[in-house]
Amino acid sequence: MKTVFSFLSPYKWLVVTALFFMLIELSVELIQPLLIKIIIDDGIVAGDQQTILFWGSIMLGLSLLAFIAGIINTFIASHAVQSYGFDIRQALFKKVQSFTMATFIKFPTASLITRLTNDVTMTQNVIFMGLRIMLRAPLIVVGSIIMAFFVQPYLALFLVISAPFLVIFLYIMSRKGMTLFGKVQRSVDRVTRKIQENLQAVRLIKAYLRGNYESNRFSTVAATLKTDNVKAFRIMEFILPVLLFVMNVSLMAVLWFGAKEMQTGDVQIGELVAIVNYAMRMTGAFSMFSFIIIFFSRAKASADRMEEVLLEEDGIEEIDGNSHITAPNSGEIEFRHVSFHYPTTDIPVLKDVSFTIKSGSKLAIMGATGSGKSTLLNLIPRFFDATKGEILVDGVNVKEWQLMELRKVIGLVPQQSILFTGSIEENLRFGDSTVDGELLKEAAKQAQIHHSIEQFPDQYNTRVGQKGVNLSGGQKQRLSIARALVRKPTILLLDDSTSALDVSTENALWQALEDEKSTMLVITQKIRTAKGADQILLLEEGKVSAYGTHAQLLESSSLYKEIAKSQQEGDDYVELHS
Amino acid sequence: MLNFIRKPFGYEPILTKEDLKKSTKKKVEKASDWKGVLSRIWKLVDEQRFLLIIVLLLVVVSSALSLLGPYMIGIIIDKYITQSVFVGLAKMIGLLVIVYVFLSISLYMQSYWMIGIAQQTIYRLRTGLFEHLQKLPVSFFDKRQHGELMSRMTNDIENVSQTLNSSFIQVFSSVLTLVGTTVVMLLLSPLLTAVTLTIVPFMYFAMRWITKRTSKLFKEQQQAVGDLNGMIEETISGQRIVKAFSQESRMLEEFTVKSERLKRTGFWALTYSGFIPKVMNLLNNTSFALVAAVGGVLAYKGSVTIGEIVIFTEYARQFTRPLNDLANQFNTVLSAIAGAERVFSIMDEPAEVDAANENKDYQLKGNVTFEHVTFRYNKEDETPTIQDVSFHVEAGKIVALVGATGAGKTTIMQLLARFYEVNEGTILIDGIPMENLPRFTLRSQTAFVLQDPFLFEMTVKENIRYGKLNATDEQLIDAAKQANAHDFIMKLPDGYDTILSADGGEISQGQKQLLSIARALVADPAILLLDEATSSIDTVTELKIQEALEYLMEGRTSFVIAHRLNTVRKADLVFVMEQGKLIEAGSQKDLLEKQGTYYKMLTNSKI
Repeated sequence: MKTVFSFLSPYKWLVVTALFFMLIELSVELIQPLLIKIIIDDGIVAGDQQTILFWGSIMLGLSLLAFIAGIINTFIASHAVQSYGFDIRQALFKKVQSFTMATFIKFPTASLITRLTNDVTMTQNVIFMGLRIMLRAPLIVVGSIIMAFFVQPYLALFLVISAPFLVIFLYIMSRKGMTLFGKVQRSVDRVTRKIQENLQAVRLIKAYLRGNYESNRFSTVAATLKTDNVKAFRIMEFILPVLLFVMNVSLMAVLWFGAKEMQTGDVQIGELVAIVNYAMRMTGAFSMFSFIIIFFSRAKASADRMEEVLLEEDGIEEIDGNSHITAPNSGEIEFRHVSFHYPTTDIPVLKDVSFTIKSGSKLAIMGATGSGKSTLLNLIPRFFDATKGEILVDGVNVKEWQLMELRKVIGLVPQQSILFTGSIEENLRFGDSTVDGELLKEAAKQAQIHHSIEQFPDQYNTRVGQKGVNLSGGQKQRLSIARALVRKPTILLLDDSTSALDVSTENALWQALEDEKSTMLVITQKIRTAKGADQILLLEEGKVSAYGTHAQLLESSSLYKEIAKSQQEGDDYVELHS
Repeated sequence: MLNFIRKPFGYEPILTKEDLKKSTKKKVEKASDWKGVLSRIWKLVDEQRFLLIIVLLLVVVSSALSLLGPYMIGIIIDKYITQSVFVGLAKMIGLLVIVYVFLSISLYMQSYWMIGIAQQTIYRLRTGLFEHLQKLPVSFFDKRQHGELMSRMTNDIENVSQTLNSSFIQVFSSVLTLVGTTVVMLLLSPLLTAVTLTIVPFMYFAMRWITKRTSKLFKEQQQAVGDLNGMIEETISGQRIVKAFSQESRMLEEFTVKSERLKRTGFWALTYSGFIPKVMNLLNNTSFALVAAVGGVLAYKGSVTIGEIVIFTEYARQFTRPLNDLANQFNTVLSAIAGAERVFSIMDEPAEVDAANENKDYQLKGNVTFEHVTFRYNKEDETPTIQDVSFHVEAGKIVALVGATGAGKTTIMQLLARFYEVNEGTILIDGIPMENLPRFTLRSQTAFVLQDPFLFEMTVKENIRYGKLNATDEQLIDAAKQANAHDFIMKLPDGYDTILSADGGEISQGQKQLLSIARALVADPAILLLDEATSSIDTVTELKIQEALEYLMEGRTSFVIAHRLNTVRKADLVFVMEQGKLIEAGSQKDLLEKQGTYYKMLTNSKI
């Protein structure tokens, strides 16, 4: 909570001013019963019409003053809140951008998004309320008591007696409310996740006829949400009747003892009316408490979630500050006894991997599912750092390069193509917005996507929907390859990124990449692709099982032979049958 | 510091006069048929209707009691205290205490029951919608964005829930209080009532002035929020690419622009809507002052008593509060009704048509026939995705579908699973037209391994069991072993009981495919549809599961899409697709002898 609200501190003067104007408003409200007393006692009872009219117009004037104060308060409060929101959004976004992948994967994507969107709004709302209403309720209570003492201390006592009881009661209730609404929030999250999952898996659920099964599973989470909601709201709704009752009973006491005192002449009728009026205002203020508690408990949950991100100290990427400023230019890569395990587990993914790729040559990486191929690629742009051993680019440890400079020379094509909303051209320019159009087309031609783009109605200006929904799998992969090629990368990393291409397109792609001068690391399942590489690295359960050329591996590695056999080329096959 | 305070007034206005002129009407989206919507909600309330009526009665009671309280106080002041009559004062106060006891009890009971009713109704609405979603055809989901459906399932329902929870009682009691106060006030003093009511027209115009602006501003704010959220979502889910291309600072710049826009529209929206309570306060205070001043003069003249002034000051507050509430609740209720209508409109979407139950217990043999099948995803599409395709496959045969991306292979599979209805022609299973076969019968005997393996956020074991809910643990483990998934599963932190996360980050794409094959193995179907089921699996592992797949395909009609030759080679029949047409079909041998497209594909290794 503390860190989040510290984002308000640059605006503390605004906050103070807003609160000041709120106090003006409040004072007017609190003075009114006092003025009523004067009108009754000095005007009506004393029979002085002048006094009535005088104080009546004062009251009207004060209302206007309160209004003006309120309007100014609104401006200032909303400026403070929007500035706060802007700042904290900025801080969160920056922080998330600076996370290393190791930190990044600690937070589920959906939850990071919520933290940057809904959670910010939630705290904004609470602060706005806080600057306008939230403090008002307790202040009205306190102010009314003070004013009541000022008007008639004896009768005011009856208002005070109930106060400690109510404070304790509210404290207990709010504690309960916080926990209960926390629970509600978790249930809401579960329901949302369930729905999301179902929308994604429509076909699967239908194929396996699991509609009823899913409905039942959903009913369970929905039922939990229902019970949690009922519990939380019922507790909250308990507050108001109790408060009302206690306040009203005190009011009765005021009337009774007030009447008694009036007999002796110690209390004026106007004073009694004023105290009654204060009591009623207190009741009104108390009735806002349950609302405030609900609001506050939600905001606290939001603030805590944001804080988790903001307070994340480890795992921040050092963007600069290293010695080697110039970018790597040869693209020679060496792995020296590299071992790696993900921060979340102890299970090693890579074990003692060593190899060297000369500048401008091509390495094919093969291996079974889960043997660590993608992980190996991720270590080069330093998404993760090796746990043991070192990785050298141009003979320099990757940790020594300036991160930006290192990544600038790398073109990465991930296994799952990720595109962004915007035109095709914007997507291709993603790495470098200054690239000229010719280069763009050249990269698109190399990636075998130029022709397809030309056939779109708006060609390079065609909009790519969110996550590329309007493109086929193969088109997305080719665009994502073109995007990497636009950068003219010294090091090109292809993570099994041709899986959705048909063979002729794929062949054409590899042909086009022949002339590329970059050092290439290609993860592939296909012997045909591997054959075209200068070296082949075969991984088995994180260890190098074989390393060499196609011919060498056919000789030395039984595993490689097995793979090769499983993928006999069409030509051999035709011979077999004809 | 002064500058600091002046700053909020320096925001440039974002609404022009022209903007405002355009938007005189339609503040909130209105339900076109709110009566229909209300009657459907009423139906959902179901057996709790009786309780709901009791709640309404309680609202009447509590509204009456909260009117009675101040009235009695006024009487006590006039008849007893100012007159110094103590006989009966104790009785009156005792009576008042009883009034307040009942007020508190009736308030508590009405919300207690209302919460129960509201949440139960929402539960029904939510589960009803979910159940209906399960019955909708796949094409329904193709046409709509997930985000939109999500917002109906969450935001719209949440709106209805909140309205039922509190607004319902509030609106009802506001109306009652409003009417009640006016009547009592008129009875007591028509003149003071008139004074109190002078604020109503002011209130009306002030509210109109504000809402005219806020409705526009809120819309603009909503757009800014949507824009920003979309960007956040994309950047975060594409974080790897952002990092790889070192675009963090550009992303931050873009973000700043969008965030600034939100700040600006947000400022105005918040400010204008923040005026509402201030205006209310002004009117409140003014009417209070008017009642005090005019009442004072009247009391001085003797036509009004002090007790009546007390009653009126309190009533004036009670009068503006429900007005305020009504104004606040009005939009909430309207948008909730609109939300409910959107929810109901989904529930009105026609469910997948299903055949009568005559063939319910039919055991599929697996003969598949396509007769001149033509299919378009959208009726407006000019070229059909599947064009006049006819073939016949005997039960137990393995069919390999080959062809370029976009040739219509996956669509054939989807038609076989009856995700879509054909436009022309018929698909027959064992000679029975597909539309005469209940979906349950068809799908319970068909297994589909999809291109994109999807895993649920539950344990590995439960994910495999998805294929057959009553499978024993042994069967699951057997299937996992056959699918070559057992070894990696055992290496997961909790083995088969490891809960997979929503992103499935712990396991690789290939491992996901292995699990989805295990899932199909457990299902034990008559027809098997494998759509690139092994594309992300390395060939060695594929070889290892080949045996399992062969075993799986044995005796079952299988349709296989694969880019790899060794998978195709096992097929009895090869279908070559091109631009939605079936251009070649036959056994491997026939096609090779024919030296047609398939032959060319093989010799150019174009599979």
